[in-house]
Amino acid sequence: MASASQLAASLKPSASPEMVKRAELSEIDASTKLPALFFFGSSILWLLVGTVFALLASFKMHMPHFLGDYEWLTFGRVRTAHLNAVIYGWSINASFGVAFWLMARLSRAELRHSGLLLIAAAFWNIGVTLGIYGILAGDSTSIEWLEFPPYATPLLFFAYALVGAWAIITFRFGRSKHIYVSQWYVLAALFWFPWIYSVAQIMLIFSPARGTVQSLVNWWFAHNVLGLWFTPIALGAVYYFLPKVLGKPIHSYYLSVLGFWSLAIFYNWAGVHHLIGGPVPVWVQTAGITASFMMVIPVIVTAINHHLTMIGSFSALKFSPTLRFTVFGAVAYTFTSLQGSSMSIRSWSEVTHFTHYTIGHSHAGMYAFFTMVMFGSIYYIMPRIMLKEWPSAKLISVHFWACAIGVSFYVLVLSIGGVKQGMEMNTLPVGADGKVGGPIAFLEIVKNTIPWLKMRSYSGILITIGHLAFAINFVWMLLKPGSVGASAPTLFRNAPDLEVTR
Amino acid sequence: MSDWFFYLIAFPIAALFIASAIYALQWASKTGQLRDLEEGAKVIFDEEEPVGRPTDQTLRQPKPVTPPKASK
Repeated sequence: MASASQLAASLKPSASPEMVKRAELSEIDASTKLPALFFFGSSILWLLVGTVFALLASFKMHMPHFLGDYEWLTFGRVRTAHLNAVIYGWSINASFGVAFWLMARLSRAELRHSGLLLIAAAFWNIGVTLGIYGILAGDSTSIEWLEFPPYATPLLFFAYALVGAWAIITFRFGRSKHIYVSQWYVLAALFWFPWIYSVAQIMLIFSPARGTVQSLVNWWFAHNVLGLWFTPIALGAVYYFLPKVLGKPIHSYYLSVLGFWSLAIFYNWAGVHHLIGGPVPVWVQTAGITASFMMVIPVIVTAINHHLTMIGSFSALKFSPTLRFTVFGAVAYTFTSLQGSSMSIRSWSEVTHFTHYTIGHSHAGMYAFFTMVMFGSIYYIMPRIMLKEWPSAKLISVHFWACAIGVSFYVLVLSIGGVKQGMEMNTLPVGADGKVGGPIAFLEIVKNTIPWLKMRSYSGILITIGHLAFAINFVWMLLKPGSVGASAPTLFRNAPDLEVTR
Repeated sequence: MSDWFFYLIAFPIAALFIASAIYALQWASKTGQLRDLEEGAKVIFDEEEPVGRPTDQTLRQPKPVTPPKASK
């Protein structure tokens, strides 16, 4: 059968001599166009959906009666729909798009079998749609980060398997002798995710573990999605875009490799710190705390590396949207990681656990770090696959400032409000000496959080404005006519001293 | 979860997983991925987009009078 040998040739580099040459960057970019557009388009759609759910959930926190009569829009469902829409809809779609664009470029190979990716993207988005519908309909599994009902997850798994298979094929066709650090990160993420996701599915949904083991598995999974999927993808993107935009190599490549392997060794252990003070063995908690502090090594290493690369080039932040978003994300990575390590200290966890402080921390990680890096990556990738420039620089600025100020304010108010809440909850009843301040009624504590929650909603509105600006710019770019016969986004190839028109 | 599941499926998969990680590190070392690290930092540049050329200036406004100086 002819197709068998063709298939073999398409899977084995040695069987297809015509592919030996290193592809041009513009050819590689052009070959990624369709799947990249599919992934980015759907990710932005989910971003908007997730933002609407976020606003609903946020307003319900200080206006409980708001839409309270519709069971599909009760807080428990809307909040869960928000989490899953932004994680599985926005974040993973965006990271798929960025990951395979990076893989193709760094392997110096044209995208092969892009049909696999299109099928994967279709299945993934059908799975997420079904999952969100299931959550709103009341079919949530109630396991945090895995709320999608069992009828949605097989689709996700199938889509994921296709992406993984595709990545390995691309990697084998690599024309680059050296594996750049971003490739290590992306490959590792693609390799780790099916492992943690399948173990979690089996041990929590398919055949649930009993008792506290269940919560151990749950937090092992939930934390590793952050650390072994989102973190490596975003760090891989930073390690590519930062030097690429500046036009100078990363400060210390040695440090970047050290950062990668130390992340690989330590992160997997850290998830237990969500259960500090809970009914799990103390040694397990201590191991989690230790790992959380070992994470300071890769974080500091990465921070030093990014910062020393930026030194002397800060003026480039004025011109490059990619750099702005990426540097904001890299700084947020340092902040949120060190904050996370500190939150694993037992005495500090006593205050912050079960308060809004934790919500602030998770948004510092998933939004200020990960999402901002993805925005920056999309700003770089889109002109190169569309061969035209972003239509409005003003909308890019609105997007950046609304989101940067919005999320900073968000983290700030929830951190202050959360610590206050935690201290009030820890206020002891009157002691034997009659001196300690009396206990505060729980309802009183809840009422005291309202001003902070209102401020959270305001920053949410600001972030929404940023997302709308981004979405408008994206759609506008798709519809705007490109220059005929362009093989590259002309603007970007100009040397810095050449005149650039917008 | 029954014991057979752990011994027959979960444990072999976990062992394979670790083995593949060790293999990856060994492969990286054997093929010289961990040598000559400073050169590795430059693989993202080529003659098309060489070191020293910024590649994203989207927000740069047209400046009619004095073009900005080239940074080496």
